[in-house]
Amino acid sequence: MDLPPPPQVAGYSLKGSQPYTISAAENAALCASIGVQPAQDGTAHPIYFYISTQVGMGQTVAGLCQVCEFNIEDGPMMAGSKVTFQRPLRTGQAYEVGGEIVSLVRKASRKLGMMDMLEYVLRLSLPDGTPVLSTTNVWVLPRKVPS
Amino acid sequence: MKPIAGSELKPFRIASVSPQGMHAWAKFLHDPNPIHLDPAVVKAMGLGERVINQGPCNLAYVISMLQAALPGSSLDSLDVRYVDNVYGGDAVEAGGKITAVTPHSGGSTCACEVWLRAEGRGPVITGTAVVRIPDRGTT
Repeated sequence: MDLPPPPQVAGYSLKGSQPYTISAAENAALCASIGVQPAQDGTAHPIYFYISTQVGMGQTVAGLCQVCEFNIEDGPMMAGSKVTFQRPLRTGQAYEVGGEIVSLVRKASRKLGMMDMLEYVLRLSLPDGTPVLSTTNVWVLPRKVPS
Repeated sequence: MKPIAGSELKPFRIASVSPQGMHAWAKFLHDPNPIHLDPAVVKAMGLGERVINQGPCNLAYVISMLQAALPGSSLDSLDVRYVDNVYGGDAVEAGGKITAVTPHSGGSTCACEVWLRAEGRGPVITGTAVVRIPDRGTT
């Protein structure tokens, strides 16, 4: 099956324009929503690795899809996430977010037809540049082929 | 618990995933995707009859399982695949197994297999995690 090339988006910057701060109140609400107690030592739930980078990268999910010439109404799907922590996340701490799209690879799927695999890396750091974590997310973008 | 390779981690169970919780996560994630909020949209997209839980919320169950099973631990790394959806009202269970323990000064590092399973349907998240456990956390 010959597939048309995907949009050329590798290298697209995902640098946030504003620092992201995990509020203690939101961390407590998030912990309550999954039935656990927030830590008493000021650390945030580690799932903020995803939230802080995704919210802080300066693009909504819809905006990121748009960069890839994909309509969010067509249903992007999370395929995978990786994270490596250099230090725990803390409430009340401002974090800087940077990153970029690694690749957009077009494939033929038996189940989904033509689809793109979007991979992007996001890095969180303290305002002085000290690394906090690095995460890579992979999304599946099923392409609707006009009939 | 003292970490031993081959031992299972105590599961973390959610009896019924709350659709109201998905509204809260839409705010945490700044993502108002209606498949998490409106069952009519889910149905119209041919994805089922019930709202779909956010993937990061599913992953939070797995992380919370690790934190509860290995008290005092901190997460070094995580690598997961999202293999299925969790729907509103589903019962899910996060679990894991220690695959290797590496002692070091001041504690140990544990490699684990981790998963989240939906009752009656099977795995929705599969992956691996590495956690660091200080000596005080191994009693």
